[in-house]
Amino acid sequence: MRTKLWGWFKPLVEGLFAALLGFGIGAVLMLLWKYDPVKAYLALFQGAFGDFGSIGKALSCLLSQGIDACKETGVIYGLYELTNTLTNATPLILTGLTFAIGIRAGLFNIGAEGQVYIGAMAAVAASLFSLPPGLHVLVSILFALIAGALWSLPVALLKATRGVHEVISTIMLNWVGRYLAYYLIATALVDPNRAEKSISIAQSARLLPILPGMDLTASLLVSVLFAGIIYWILWQTALGYEIRAVGLNPDASRYGGIRPTRTMIASFVLGGLAAGLAGATQILGRPPTYALYEDLSNVMNLGFDGIAVALIGRNHPLGAIVAAIFMGGLSAGSNQMQIAAQVPLEMVRVVQGAIILTLAIPELLSIFKIFRRKRG
Amino acid sequence: MSESLAIQMLSIQKIYPDGTVALKGVNFDLRRGEIHGLLGENGAGKSTLTKILSGLLRPTEGKIFIRGKLKNFRNPSDALRSGIGMVHQHFALVPTFSALENILLGQEGSSNLSRLQMSKARARVEEMMRAGGFSVPLDARTESLAVGVQQRVEIIKMLYRSVDVLILDEPTAVLTPVEVHDFFKTLRTLRDAGKSIILITHKLKEILDVTDRVTVLRQGQNAGQIATPEATPEILARMMIGHDVLPSIEKKPTQIGSAIMQVSHLRVKDNLGLHSIEDLSFAVHAGEILGIAGVEGNGQTELVEAITGLRPVEHGEISINEKNIAGQNPRQLYQQGLAHVPEDRRRLGMILEFSLSENSILGVHREKRFHGWLGKILWGKVGSHTWDLIKKFSIVASDVKAPAKSLSGGNQQKLVCAREFDKQPSLVVAAQPTRGLDISATQYIRDQLVHLRDEGKAVLLVSADLEEIFQLSDRIAVMYEGKFMGVAKPEELDRERIGLMMGGVSALAAPVGEAAR
Repeated sequence: MRTKLWGWFKPLVEGLFAALLGFGIGAVLMLLWKYDPVKAYLALFQGAFGDFGSIGKALSCLLSQGIDACKETGVIYGLYELTNTLTNATPLILTGLTFAIGIRAGLFNIGAEGQVYIGAMAAVAASLFSLPPGLHVLVSILFALIAGALWSLPVALLKATRGVHEVISTIMLNWVGRYLAYYLIATALVDPNRAEKSISIAQSARLLPILPGMDLTASLLVSVLFAGIIYWILWQTALGYEIRAVGLNPDASRYGGIRPTRTMIASFVLGGLAAGLAGATQILGRPPTYALYEDLSNVMNLGFDGIAVALIGRNHPLGAIVAAIFMGGLSAGSNQMQIAAQVPLEMVRVVQGAIILTLAIPELLSIFKIFRRKRG
Repeated sequence: MSESLAIQMLSIQKIYPDGTVALKGVNFDLRRGEIHGLLGENGAGKSTLTKILSGLLRPTEGKIFIRGKLKNFRNPSDALRSGIGMVHQHFALVPTFSALENILLGQEGSSNLSRLQMSKARARVEEMMRAGGFSVPLDARTESLAVGVQQRVEIIKMLYRSVDVLILDEPTAVLTPVEVHDFFKTLRTLRDAGKSIILITHKLKEILDVTDRVTVLRQGQNAGQIATPEATPEILARMMIGHDVLPSIEKKPTQIGSAIMQVSHLRVKDNLGLHSIEDLSFAVHAGEILGIAGVEGNGQTELVEAITGLRPVEHGEISINEKNIAGQNPRQLYQQGLAHVPEDRRRLGMILEFSLSENSILGVHREKRFHGWLGKILWGKVGSHTWDLIKKFSIVASDVKAPAKSLSGGNQQKLVCAREFDKQPSLVVAAQPTRGLDISATQYIRDQLVHLRDEGKAVLLVSADLEEIFQLSDRIAVMYEGKFMGVAKPEELDRERIGLMMGGVSALAAPVGEAAR
């Protein structure tokens, strides 16, 4: 029992320590350039979560008086920062899963970026049809899931048949996906009235805000649910058992009758599903846009940020949720850091980078340990 | 100390940090201009002794004199500076460098040699090759060279560093017979040029062919030293194996049944693409233990991997219960009654980071009895299955959710055995099942193997431990370079005869009659 508890506890302790270290490094950097770290971090926290008093008031108002009354008085906006953070976190949970599932199977899958573009496009494409509300949402999500998975298949097949390393093929497919998206947004999916974006998502396919005036939609629930499913697959099914076995020890897996190629393909496809879904949440459930911008700016870098999310979250689906919220908070809070503490954007980025790096280090170390043992 | 000796090692003792005593006061001396064979079984201490001499390990006690001077090596460069170089079984060459670059690598200033220095170095290497009577293509990429040529590159690399004493660790293991012939010629040329050579081997024929003197080690001690002209295969075999009294074998006679596994004309390649097993045929019957003895690296690993579906079969047939199973994957084999206790439990037999529960279903994790709705693994059921195994095999473990690496080596191996024997197999393949285990775990696992045999299972036991082979086997086969040197009942064999066969001398492996079915 002790080992089990420690198994859960240890990553938290390490994470806390790493976070302190990261914030410390950030503080030193800010001091060196004569910014006030205390003020900056307070602003960061404010921007990310708001203040507890207002959150409490908003929640209790919502529970006792209902949405409309709270909107009238404006109390509801105490949740503004928090919901912003959660909205940011929604796609990151999923792209974090892509990388995490890869690592669990011993793969360095950095293809989420391209799969997000393709998934987002598929979600847009689903709005070319008209379907009843509800069903339309499901179909759009399904489109995105399938598209993401399809975009991961070449990677899996190239590796299985030709031994092409997934880092190479995913990077290449990320670019192919990007230019394919540019092309389709400008042609088949273009909004005839506004050339800078794709057609808008049909009303019947949109995920609408949970609270008026705020961006948070049900896509967060979709995201969390998917993380739960991945957790279940990894730890409760034979497929997950095989994925984890291959990632930890391919030789013993082969001895145990596991076919590494099949397991690897499954891991890529699961990752593709997650990334495709991330694209969908960003398009179907992120007001006010409900479309894909011609320069892809509203889905750009979600896949790469997912790598950081996975590393901070210890390549665990539940860890990815926590890490994505943390990352979402960091980016939501960066505005306040600039406005309230007058830290310039560049310094904000440097501080964020320091924090993310130190948080990722414990998991990076353990990945290296496993990779090195497998070589040697 | 005598100046005529290139090396003298006195009462060398080595105790590893984990408490293993590898050398118990070994003496060794090497004359100038001789080829000195170092002979012994696995674990006799050959490698430890030479690693100490080449500076890779430091002795716990003992003195080393180089040309009469007391030396204390802290690392391999110290040894190199004293003129001692070792060529390991696994070469230390950069595959993408040319042969010449590899030879010069690590020399002072080699990273930015001028063209003039480079051509000087090349001239020196070419001169050395002429004197030595051997050559390598200096500009070829190393990875494109045959293994035998790469070995020559390693030797030239050492000679270029003005080494007087060359230590070669099982150098012929990677060579074809023709290459071995050339290689020995090279060694003689080097000796005649005044170099001293230590040749580590377990092959009696090589000792007799090429060395001038032999030192034999057994269980970390000197077992004898002899001038090669006075040696015969019998003398060497006796020195190598010793005369230990065998523990009495408590085995009921069983009725040997029909052949469970039949191997015919099997051909298998090793990792380097050489044929490590060539045209091998044998059978294992119900109710018998067939023990395969032999020094490791003679094809046993490849044989076991081929039988258990981990290595492709080049040619020939393997059948279990009269069905050809060559080319099937491990899971298919398990379904047909195979159980496999692999030789490397930490690499193959289990996943150390996985819990005991998770490890207890490795290989049977797809079986219906562990699954529920939607393919969910019923961890509760798996847990109680694990507890059953723990109790049945008296494994010391407190929690089935603890990672397997938290168990001691003996308990890890017991868990592997428990899982495999619980499959209700008809054929059990056990490779080095008790290696590195304490006495009680060893005894327990041996008892279990005999028990399986008494139940009428066919057991194939591969072991480098002769005591184990004699204690358990109903028939013994001795493997040497991918072939059986002979198959006999244990009572028809003595240690000397086995030692000879293990060293590749087959003429005396007489009784091949009844037992060799």
